[in-house]
Amino acid sequence: MLVVDGLTKLFQGGKGITDVSFTVEQGEVFGFLGPNGAGKSTTIRHIMGFMKPDRGSAAIKGLNTWEKQGAVQKLVGYLPGEIAFIEGMSGKEFLDFLARMQRVDSSVKREQLINRLQFDVNTPIRKMSKGMKQKVGIVAAFMHSPEFIILDEPTSGLDPLMQQLFIELVLEEKARGTTFLMSSHSFPEIERTCDRAAIIKDGRLVATNNIHELQSMQRKLLVIVFEHVEDAGAFMQNGNVPIESHDGRRVTVAVQGNYNELIHEAAKYKVRSLDITAQNLEDVFMQYYDRSADKGAVS
Amino acid sequence: MNLPLFKQMMKIHAKGMSNYAFGSAFYILLMFWLYPGIADNTGALNELLKSMPEGIVNAFNIQGGFGSMEAFISGEYYGLILPLLLSIFSIMLSTGLMARLVDQGSMAYLLSTPTTRRQIATTQAGVLSTGLLLIMVVTTAAGMLGYIWFIGDKYEFNGARYIQMNVVAWMLFIAASGIAFFLSSIMNDEKKALGTSGFIVFGMFALDMLGKISGSVEWLRYASIFSLYRPSDIAAGNGHPLLAAIILLAIGLASFAAGIIAFSKRDLPL
Repeated sequence: MLVVDGLTKLFQGGKGITDVSFTVEQGEVFGFLGPNGAGKSTTIRHIMGFMKPDRGSAAIKGLNTWEKQGAVQKLVGYLPGEIAFIEGMSGKEFLDFLARMQRVDSSVKREQLINRLQFDVNTPIRKMSKGMKQKVGIVAAFMHSPEFIILDEPTSGLDPLMQQLFIELVLEEKARGTTFLMSSHSFPEIERTCDRAAIIKDGRLVATNNIHELQSMQRKLLVIVFEHVEDAGAFMQNGNVPIESHDGRRVTVAVQGNYNELIHEAAKYKVRSLDITAQNLEDVFMQYYDRSADKGAVS
Repeated sequence: MNLPLFKQMMKIHAKGMSNYAFGSAFYILLMFWLYPGIADNTGALNELLKSMPEGIVNAFNIQGGFGSMEAFISGEYYGLILPLLLSIFSIMLSTGLMARLVDQGSMAYLLSTPTTRRQIATTQAGVLSTGLLLIMVVTTAAGMLGYIWFIGDKYEFNGARYIQMNVVAWMLFIAASGIAFFLSSIMNDEKKALGTSGFIVFGMFALDMLGKISGSVEWLRYASIFSLYRPSDIAAGNGHPLLAAIILLAIGLASFAAGIIAFSKRDLPL
């Protein structure tokens, strides 16, 4: 469906993307992960045909996205990372207008989406909150049932309930055969919807993996509080599980796929509490970003 | 041209356009209403003009005097107020139609639909030209009505020359808005586009004025499209209004085309 081949674009000041290549298969949900400023949006802008690559190309169903701008868009639904609607319109006016531009009668599906996302479509756009604009944007990207939907940070501004609903929407569309490219800086969001994901850092693609591989590679920090201080000591000495840090009866371990070992080892002792600490994406993909990094440096 | 986009843009900008059109119509009606009072003192006023420095008289396009209705209106409206009004309109609307959409990011939505950049830019150029046409038609019609209501057969009025004046003014602003549109098409920043096109259009207006005030810097006028627009000459039946209109139209079309092509080929920070 989408072939990105050696896409390179360097901006003044050295930022940009270098030699980004990946493929999104028909019917697949493909995640595009990376911290802010890594080049996710720049890549998507090339895929949407807003920018001309210095080298390389992006093609949707064999159509070069820069050269065939206007034709490619027949296949695509798009949610921009920073939503800006045309001023002086209500949500409904905007969606009506966009539907006319898309040249597809999408009134039925639009109505359904609006009902499910629960927002007042007649609100003037300038009075909308961030979350509400995001909902209008989601309706705009989905309503004409395109073959390929490109979403740039789709859940920013949505509350957890709506994030859940959004994931349902994606999975429903996926079941109908729609292909997705979804960028995010949040791993859990990608984890629940995507089949494969690419990780980008400083403008370069560092890995493309299926999501199960990523899940097993994902490093999680677990804080185990033992009932007895001596248990904590024994647990650490056993050494099957890499220890991050310890403080009396509290031990922090790093797990990366080896959940069974951890459970076996921890089960030998009385455990008072167990916590998984929230890790940001930087930590999650530490091994990609700097394979030689001292593991002790991760905090 | 993209019809849904054209309709939507006309709807959004209709209020602004009609404000300019009615403002202009009101002003021209006022001028026609005032004229009978002035016409009775034509002699004295023409004496006054003669006593003023020639450069000043030329600069404000009032050299036609007050002898005929069209000479009066060419000086009092077409010489200064209308060019200022339309300059502001051209600069504001061209910025609003192109650079603002890029700056804010809503252009991303237009480009995410099956519409080429060329179609979008052409449509926006069409909206701009339609707005200008609307203002000129309303202004011309208001002048005609003013003539019927306030002047009748009492004073001299050459309708053909009046219409020529309007056509050349329209062409002048096709050229000016073409230039503003081109600048708006190549810039990402709304304020920068507004500033640059304002500087260039008003700069040309000022060059033309300076060139007229002093003979020694008359060459300045040739750097300005406003030198092709001489309402007082048209009112007096002199000059080459047809040639001027054709040159202005050519400048306008070339600028619009350059803007559309430049917009189709450049990177957009959306």
